[in-house]
Amino acid sequence: MSVVCVMTNDSDRCDFALVGLYEVYDPEVGLNVVDLGLIYQLDFDEDAKKVHCLMTLTTQFCPMGDQITGDVTASLTEAFPDWQIAVELTFEPAWDYTKISDVGREFLGQ
Amino acid sequence: MSGPIFSGNLQQTTNYRVVLPFYIYGAVSFLIACVLLLFNTDLVHLHYYSPHTLAIVHTMALAWGTMIILGASHQLLPVLIEGKLDNDNIAYATFAFTAIGIPVLIVGFFNFNYNLLEIGATLVNAGVLLYLINVFRSSFKSNTRGVHAWYMMTASIWLFSTTFFGLLLVFNFSYPLLPEGSVHYLSIHAHLGIIGWFLMLVIGVGTRLIPMFFISKYTNEKVLWVIYWLINSSLISFILIRLLNSDTIAYYFPLILALSGVVLFVRHIIKAHAVRIRRKVDEQMKTSIISVFQMLLPIVALLIALLFLPIDRNANLGLIYGFCVFFGWITAIILGMTFKTLPFIVWNREYHKKARSGKTPAPKELFNEKAYNTMLILYLAGFVTFIVALSIKNSLTAQIATVALLIAACLYVYNVGLTIFHKAN
Repeated sequence: MSVVCVMTNDSDRCDFALVGLYEVYDPEVGLNVVDLGLIYQLDFDEDAKKVHCLMTLTTQFCPMGDQITGDVTASLTEAFPDWQIAVELTFEPAWDYTKISDVGREFLGQ
Repeated sequence: MSGPIFSGNLQQTTNYRVVLPFYIYGAVSFLIACVLLLFNTDLVHLHYYSPHTLAIVHTMALAWGTMIILGASHQLLPVLIEGKLDNDNIAYATFAFTAIGIPVLIVGFFNFNYNLLEIGATLVNAGVLLYLINVFRSSFKSNTRGVHAWYMMTASIWLFSTTFFGLLLVFNFSYPLLPEGSVHYLSIHAHLGIIGWFLMLVIGVGTRLIPMFFISKYTNEKVLWVIYWLINSSLISFILIRLLNSDTIAYYFPLILALSGVVLFVRHIIKAHAVRIRRKVDEQMKTSIISVFQMLLPIVALLIALLFLPIDRNANLGLIYGFCVFFGWITAIILGMTFKTLPFIVWNREYHKKARSGKTPAPKELFNEKAYNTMLILYLAGFVTFIVALSIKNSLTAQIATVALLIAACLYVYNVGLTIFHKAN
């Protein structure tokens, strides 16, 4: 069983960020990036006013990669207009199906 | 405050300008092949080595199958080799040479004009050689070369072998380059293309993309290597047996190797399907699964020919075999995969810079699903009916089948056009 698991140093701000990120979809799968398990970590630096988002894609060669990372950046910018947004893409660990949340699995028909 | 910062290694996809001309060219060619077939249904009575049959076969193999697959492989190269396409200009040159060479070659076959055949074959070879160079340069610039990259590289070597051997056969009509007449080597030329190019590439791409679209947990690289060696050994042993003029019984060896490879591929897809996360399988994926099973049909046709038919009746089964290959699994996988790849290419072109600027349609909304479903039904009906027509050698049945295939081709072109000319509001 898997629930949405995003590591963070500020759970309140993280929850606020996720509200927007739930609206960012992988166009092929039709599932949002949070339930798909693409968002690994969201950290907030209060002093520097900086949001750091560590995320992945289903594959490094995802043809929609540009679009998805752009949408994530735009969503965070919308949620934190006065903060610096830094989106970091990683493939370690690589995404796999275990990262999909229960809601995501239900959406996919499991 | 400065703007957003992005870091990380996101692999760039191939420029849509490289890919779309191949798709447009291939789609129109499928329509032309069906029109040619409609006006030449008397081929059901003829030997496969007749000008019009050769023209239709080359329209299907080169103008339709190869051009679409060249387009798709330029797009999918980054996924398969885990690197980027080395040179867009080489890809444009590949298109230019093949796009001009293929119709010249087809008209050459239709009228059996040696000069046109030689010019067309030379141009096609120039295009394919450039493609081979681009695939190898791209693959060797990538840090990792996994099994899929080897499928891709090997398939491109076999493609060049096919076209180069075809060039020799064409010149052999006018100059005695080979010990025997060109007809003697026809089956080698055909199988270099069917097994070496189409089967290798479809298995290489299919084992990567089909589980990816299923979101499947299943992966087995060892089996993919076994399939790789089975298919290559089958092709090489077939060529040797044919060149050595061995007995009929020797042909069972490459046939069993190819059959084993295809059965393992079918098993791989069934396993990936069984443990998929995404339960709903869309129509395009269903078409791809049908094509995987269709791969078994030509092998069954060959087995029947070897086991039961006297050598003088093999020509008719040769036609069924060729039809099952070109109008069968190659066409079916293209019909399915076109609408799993093309909408993404166009979607990226139209909506790439419109991140969160309003509601965007899903890629699958770029084409007409109803037209796709009708196309699939007509294609399958036409395919089965044409095999019946070939079996009973009946031109009228062949005409009815071809009308169904032609309407399917029209619907395919309509959907390709709808997708390619889609504009964001």
